[in-house]
Amino acid sequence: MTQKEKESLLKRIEKGLHEYYVAPYRRSFARAQRDEDDLFMLLVFAENMGVPNPAAYYTLELLPLVYDRFHEWHKRMGMERSPLDHIGCC
Amino acid sequence: MLLKLANSKKILFFGGKGGVGKTTVSAATAAACADSGAKVLLVSTDPAHNLGHLFDRNIGGTPTRISAGLDALELDPQETVNVHLKEISSSLHKLMPTNLYSEVDKHIALAKDAPGMHEAAILERMADVVEDGLRDYDKIIFDTAPSGHTARLMVLPEVMSAWTEGLIKRREKADRFAEFVRELGEDTSMQDKTIGNADDSEQERESQIRQILLRRRHKFTHLRERIADSDMTSFVIVLAAERLPVLETIELHQQLKQASISVDCLVVNKRAPTDSGEFLKERQEQEEIHLATLAKTLTSLPRQDIFLRPHDIVGLAAVESMAGQLT
Repeated sequence: MTQKEKESLLKRIEKGLHEYYVAPYRRSFARAQRDEDDLFMLLVFAENMGVPNPAAYYTLELLPLVYDRFHEWHKRMGMERSPLDHIGCC
Repeated sequence: MLLKLANSKKILFFGGKGGVGKTTVSAATAAACADSGAKVLLVSTDPAHNLGHLFDRNIGGTPTRISAGLDALELDPQETVNVHLKEISSSLHKLMPTNLYSEVDKHIALAKDAPGMHEAAILERMADVVEDGLRDYDKIIFDTAPSGHTARLMVLPEVMSAWTEGLIKRREKADRFAEFVRELGEDTSMQDKTIGNADDSEQERESQIRQILLRRRHKFTHLRERIADSDMTSFVIVLAAERLPVLETIELHQQLKQASISVDCLVVNKRAPTDSGEFLKERQEQEEIHLATLAKTLTSLPRQDIFLRPHDIVGLAAVESMAGQLT
């Protein structure tokens, strides 16, 4: 084994170990973030789902920013079809 | 009394029961302030606008010159809602394939008549008027809708800023998580996240959401601070010396106090004169009984009486002559 090969092997082991320890944390943060995002979607679409929203006028302007993720969101929330009649994403 | 108050504040609200003469009294006050050299903007927040009827001319959603130093404006919630929704629908169109345009438009059309829409639109315009108006005018005088509506409008900035505050907090939390994920390297286990991946377009989207929310929060807190600042803003309750307006005044005063808005003057409009015959004299005695009830509850509030006149108040000249009655 040449010096160069040794180094790259160590690098690979280091990377692997790093990944081994870091991945679970990263996954739980990613999940926490996704949960926050899902909640945010729910708040933006609250009025349409029949939950009174005092700020419907203002959440509407967030709609363009989250609209294209609506389909993924309702699928993940366990709704096979779009829950809103007037959003025919599927 | 009323004039002294008006001259010492930058923002004045006139409220009270329907039909007591809020529009006339606020217009007269505005005319009096303009007469003493201030630049005044008179704004009606009542969806059933009366300023145009009072001045016997068209006044719309943009400031209209009434006399030197006095401009008037009628906030139009329907128009505001329409413009707002049109902006949203055009930015949605940019994102959507053409065949989904009609779906988007259906969604927006439903939102148009959603409860709270008009209220929010009036609040939005009010916030704009207070923020921009004080740049161009020395004084803004609001002629508001009848009591219940207005009491609600006055607490709305607080409710709304609490609501946006909540949304911003949630976004910050999501952002913090996203930041952690970025620092810990790429994560491929969750491809279907709703909002926020490490790439630029996602960060761009995130910052747009945040900007919109922050802009909202700024508007609400700005308006709320101005309204609650008793050095700058005051609320005047207009009433007639009759049983129902007196009771409603007491109630409105209570509601405004809860919203920490300072009420500094009562205007009793259409008082019966004592020197015009037996009938009106008797009426005047009855009024004193009602005003005694009022004084019992609202002890320290200064009162401005305005006497009933034989003719209607229509047009600038009549309003100015009424302004002469104010002290």
